[in-house]
Amino acid sequence: MEKQGNRRSFLEIATAFIGGVLSLAAGIPLIGFAISPAFKKGESKWVDLGLADRLKNSRFKKVDYTFTAKDGWVKATKKRSVYVTDAGAGEWNVFSRTCSHLGCLVRWDEKQESFLCPCHGAIFDQTGAVVAGPPPEPLQKLETKVEAGILYVKET
Amino acid sequence: MIIKQFLSERLPLTEFSAHLRKPLPKHINLLFSLGSLAMFLLLLQAATGAFLALYYSPSPEHAHNAVTYISEEVPFGAFVRGLHHWGASAMVIIVFLHLLRVVLYGSYKAPRELTWIFGVLLLLVVLGFGFTGYLLPWDEKAYWATVVGVEIASTAPILGDFVAKVLRGGAEIGAVTLSRFYALHTIWLPWLAFGLVGVHLFFVRYYGSSGTPQNTPEEMKTGKPFYPDQVFEDVVGMLILFAVLASVALFLPVPLEDVADPTNADYDPRPEWYFLFLFQLLKYFQGPLEIIGTFVIPTVGMVLLLLLPFLDKSERVVLWKRPIALTVTSVCVVAIVGLTILGASSPKLETQEASQPTAETDSTVSPDTETEAVEEGEKVFDFQLTEEEIEGTEEGEEVFDFQLTEEELQ
Repeated sequence: MEKQGNRRSFLEIATAFIGGVLSLAAGIPLIGFAISPAFKKGESKWVDLGLADRLKNSRFKKVDYTFTAKDGWVKATKKRSVYVTDAGAGEWNVFSRTCSHLGCLVRWDEKQESFLCPCHGAIFDQTGAVVAGPPPEPLQKLETKVEAGILYVKET
Repeated sequence: MIIKQFLSERLPLTEFSAHLRKPLPKHINLLFSLGSLAMFLLLLQAATGAFLALYYSPSPEHAHNAVTYISEEVPFGAFVRGLHHWGASAMVIIVFLHLLRVVLYGSYKAPRELTWIFGVLLLLVVLGFGFTGYLLPWDEKAYWATVVGVEIASTAPILGDFVAKVLRGGAEIGAVTLSRFYALHTIWLPWLAFGLVGVHLFFVRYYGSSGTPQNTPEEMKTGKPFYPDQVFEDVVGMLILFAVLASVALFLPVPLEDVADPTNADYDPRPEWYFLFLFQLLKYFQGPLEIIGTFVIPTVGMVLLLLLPFLDKSERVVLWKRPIALTVTSVCVVAIVGLTILGASSPKLETQEASQPTAETDSTVSPDTETEAVEEGEKVFDFQLTEEEIEGTEEGEEVFDFQLTEEELQ
């Protein structure tokens, strides 16, 4: 009787063990398959905004631009939008329009001299610093360079 | 008769029939049909969704056109989409009322804690259906609501950024995101929902209906039978609900905004009405406190809801005789409704563009070389064709390739 009980206990443990092995053997690759995009590192690249001369003396000018990037299995045309200010002496202030709170697009308001977010009421000043609202960080200022008369921003 | 006899010889039909006819508690009312109505809506959503999938295409370049096609060209398309769209809103309302009914009568109390827990999990699944569903039309609302929703997830401590990337399938919303949300909406969540409903219903039948708190122990099994009496009332409720939904679907077109544009300067993003309370809540937590609105309150709220039967072990009487429960429930309902109203009445943002000192007058500069990274002759896969592009295409002209070559992908 005791022998029979030991045998049953062994079968219970062995069944649970095999079940566990099967779950892991199928589960690990499946989970890896699903979450793999989280481990891909994004590439940064320089994207041109056009001739620097055409943007000369710009002040918080909205500039839309496109670039191609691989999106899964497609090479997609991505659209972006920034505010460009010619700071003089070859310096450029280019702010991303993406609100540092939750990703909505901010708009420059000439009257308030501020960037305003249409979602949760964030306000950023001319330097991109948070003046009011929920964002924990300032607006992102993009790296710029001018080469052969063309203004580039670093797209991350 | 022959079939019935055949089945009776092989299946316990008599026992099953007796089980269906088991008497309910004596005191029960129309509010006890809300669970059945939620079940009906789940089936209606599954049915209309399965048919919508016949025409829908989950890719950024086709999704918006597919939804427009369904709404404007497919016979009954606007009606089927209307049922699905308004059915989703009805589902949120019915599930919320069902939850309130359970709280009102203290039906979550022992021994029905597990029924409650699986019910709360189903509420999360319903909200998940809503979140994953409204990206699918790939219009402005879809895109921006998803941008904000995923960013909310990214604020969670430690795993936030990882979760956001998994949800998006990468660093930003695009083809992979849409494909993921479609799979979640049409395969993962339905399987999960029907599994949870199965367990929830098993517990409902196993423990029996709780009835109203006024039932004495003797009255718990002296009411009308579940079948046909209660089932008839449920079916009438379903008929009325379907009539209302069908009328709304017929006379109130489902909105479809312009195709998603990540650079649209004039768009004020707003979520679906059932997430407006969260939208409004996020405005009140600023700077380092942001995480309280995005993570702490929603998470703690859900955990407390799940643990409710273990936190409130008071005697099972109606809500108005339980002052603490009554106060907490009232505050929560008033807060959710109030925040929703405030969120809905948020003013649209009006801004004045900067006047530019240069001769150029247009507010948008088209870069001289539109896409630096695109090599000459390389095909660019744009997300959406305009009507002009479709109509202006000459016969035989290649607008875009459906398939990239290996060289192009590299």
